[in-house]
Amino acid sequence: MWLNLICYASILIFVFGFIAKARKYATMPLHLRWELYPVAHEKKRPYGGSYFEGLNWWRKPREKSLLRDLKYIGQELSFFREYFRRNRGFWYFVYPFHIGFYLLVLWLVLLGYGAILILSDLSIAAHSLSTWGRIIYFLTLIAGVTGFIIGAIGTSGLILKRVIDKELRFYTTPVDYFSLLLVLAVFVSGLYAWYFYDQTFSIIRDHIKSLFTFSPPVNMNPATTTFLVLTSLFFAYMPFTRMMHYLAKFFTFHKVRWDDEPNLRGSKIEKKVIELLNQRVTWSAPHIQSGKKWVEIATEVKFPSETGGSK
Amino acid sequence: MKEKLVLKDISQPARQLIEIAPKDLMKLPYPYDQPDREPPLKQLTEEQRTKYEASLDGVLAIGIPKPKSKEEEEEFVEKFLSGLKKLLSRENNWVFLQPLTLSLEYCLKCQTCSEFCPIYVSSGKQEIYRPTFRSEVFRRIIGRYLKGESKLLSKLTGRDIELSWLTIARLAELAYRCTLCRRCAQACPIGIDNGLISREIRKLLSQELGIAPKEFHELGTVQQLKVGSSTGITSKALESIIRFMEEEIEEKTGKKIRIPLDKKGADILFLHNAGEFLSWPENIEAFAIIFDAAGIDWTMSSELVGYDAVNYGAFYDDVQLARIFLKHVQIAQKLKVNKILLGECGHAHKVMCVVADRVLTGELNIPRESALPLLEDLVCNEKLKLDPRRNNFPVTLHDPCNVVRLMGIVEPQRRILRRICPQFREMEPHGVENYCCGGGSGFAIMASMNFPSWRSSISGRMKFKQILEVFQDVISPEIKKYVCAPCSNCKGQIRELFNYYNVWENCNIFYGGLVELIVNAMVDIKEPFIRWEWR
Repeated sequence: MWLNLICYASILIFVFGFIAKARKYATMPLHLRWELYPVAHEKKRPYGGSYFEGLNWWRKPREKSLLRDLKYIGQELSFFREYFRRNRGFWYFVYPFHIGFYLLVLWLVLLGYGAILILSDLSIAAHSLSTWGRIIYFLTLIAGVTGFIIGAIGTSGLILKRVIDKELRFYTTPVDYFSLLLVLAVFVSGLYAWYFYDQTFSIIRDHIKSLFTFSPPVNMNPATTTFLVLTSLFFAYMPFTRMMHYLAKFFTFHKVRWDDEPNLRGSKIEKKVIELLNQRVTWSAPHIQSGKKWVEIATEVKFPSETGGSK
Repeated sequence: MKEKLVLKDISQPARQLIEIAPKDLMKLPYPYDQPDREPPLKQLTEEQRTKYEASLDGVLAIGIPKPKSKEEEEEFVEKFLSGLKKLLSRENNWVFLQPLTLSLEYCLKCQTCSEFCPIYVSSGKQEIYRPTFRSEVFRRIIGRYLKGESKLLSKLTGRDIELSWLTIARLAELAYRCTLCRRCAQACPIGIDNGLISREIRKLLSQELGIAPKEFHELGTVQQLKVGSSTGITSKALESIIRFMEEEIEEKTGKKIRIPLDKKGADILFLHNAGEFLSWPENIEAFAIIFDAAGIDWTMSSELVGYDAVNYGAFYDDVQLARIFLKHVQIAQKLKVNKILLGECGHAHKVMCVVADRVLTGELNIPRESALPLLEDLVCNEKLKLDPRRNNFPVTLHDPCNVVRLMGIVEPQRRILRRICPQFREMEPHGVENYCCGGGSGFAIMASMNFPSWRSSISGRMKFKQILEVFQDVISPEIKKYVCAPCSNCKGQIRELFNYYNVWENCNIFYGGLVELIVNAMVDIKEPFIRWEWR
């Protein structure tokens, strides 16, 4: 039962950690515009142009393309285009690493779905009488095995690259190596458990079923147990590491790099700006009236006698 | 000096962390491919070294005086830490909290950005100039001193940098080894913005410790708010300059044009750099000629701050930034103009159209736009009579980062040049992937000690290489060539670069703005407007 408790704890920590992180960024105050071109949703200017290219731009309707936005995201998620274009040496490993991770998640989803089907009296096996049962069986098998192999190759490559490449080694900390080794351990232990103990993934599917039914796990073996403990550790650890960069990337691109929304009179943005300008500021350099509101400081100029820099 | 630097060395005593040798710098094309064509980097005097903290790279941009006592050192560190807390707080830094936090928390240290940084590459890949070096030092200081990590955890997370007066002084100088061109941010697959981190370090130093280069603060924003312009030009002096320019227009073109000042109810308030009045009056004259020919209802302002579009606050201090752009829009409001039009000044473009956008509310939110789309309309819709044959010499275009990568105005200037310059050619890369001129983020006006020498040989090196490459087939001094740089700051930097390498004599490459080329092609002006006289 302790194994189930570890799994439940891991899921809870991941979910709450994810929500907390997302909430932290989503509730941050509106910032000044700081976009960087090209902006993906710009409809007619694929070379990186903006609506500022138009004469009297504020009189014209803004033309945004959700399709171009989605196309960029799609290319990034499926192919890691930016790494491919700009850092090919890294892409060779970062790409399989992520594909391995995607497949691991897909595999877990398929296992969960398979467990639900079993609970509905459907057999998930190579020779299942149900076509759907056979499809889910093979999809799970392919996702799991290829995910473990590709992920292990990518992760090993990333570790080796960080060890061998001086540029990367210089900036890599013990914690960074630990994170990568943990991911590698997940992939390798999964592959080991599959090959030696659970070639149909039925043991692990049964375990997931036991998680759904709050019952003790059955037919466990040391390899599968090790894999499950490591995977649980990984998911519980992830929200506190840079591995959450996929979430950060969403905010970085949509809320900073591509945020070209103009502040129009009477808009929601304007309302937020007015609130923010009324906050008090405690910066204490000589030219700032510490303790006053932003709006007061910006409109009442204070001339300091001298500052620290010297010529 | 150590063979290979590690991040921790930022806090270790040493005469100098790196030594810059001309032989290590990125190679330049012909005719600068010979070592004797590389001027030696200016060295600091021993007196300067004794007085200021120069142990980062032997270059001084700010020049922080060394502390006189232990107490002074400790107070400095405490103030830095208090500023750090403010930088990461909602109240004090709502303006950049979200982008800064995202950039601080998620760098994967894949170093994709490094190859895209012109300073790092030009320097021969000096470790301290790597975009991630500065950010990582800053990040590790935050981790250790703000999050209160134990020594063991600091070691495991790599956050074992000692915070001292020395560390901060070096970090402060290092924040002025980045032009904030944000090419690294553009290259980052995650979107980490090392340029922003540099700017926020500068901001912390200015807004909490009162430390900034004199050219930015005392001689920059403070002088602008006090006297009217960072150049020192007063309202009274402006009127004489304007009259002088009118006379010069008549002398050059035979046209009697009055440059309108403080005209209430005009359609456009034209904002340009006061630096142009002194260094490149022909640029403002060209605007006046074009506006006159097109029948545009415009005015300039003679009110304090209203005749100088520069806003150095953009480079180091949010408070000074806001104070200046608020003055600009208040003047426009008083003059009851329909819009503010920005002349050839990159950072004024970005400040007024992009950064200020989320501070200006209600009546202060007056439309602001670049002059480039208007010029495109006049040229490409044949509202001016132009003869491209008058510009029949090789021309290339420099893309100011603030106008192009940071604002997305890419094509109007190109459409104009394609129309009026038969020998127009592009540098590679160009457009949103351009290289900074090397004078970005105010570097072009910083004249402290040996900084100009560093700026020309390192931060401007990539741009210089691009210019030489684009003109390789016509590099002979017998052929005159023109670098079009529609930005005052970039022009300043290109002028310094060309002086440093004696380009005018060796290659006959001239530089100037876009409007000069337009006026040079105007059929009703008999003599060429561009004089090809080096100044």
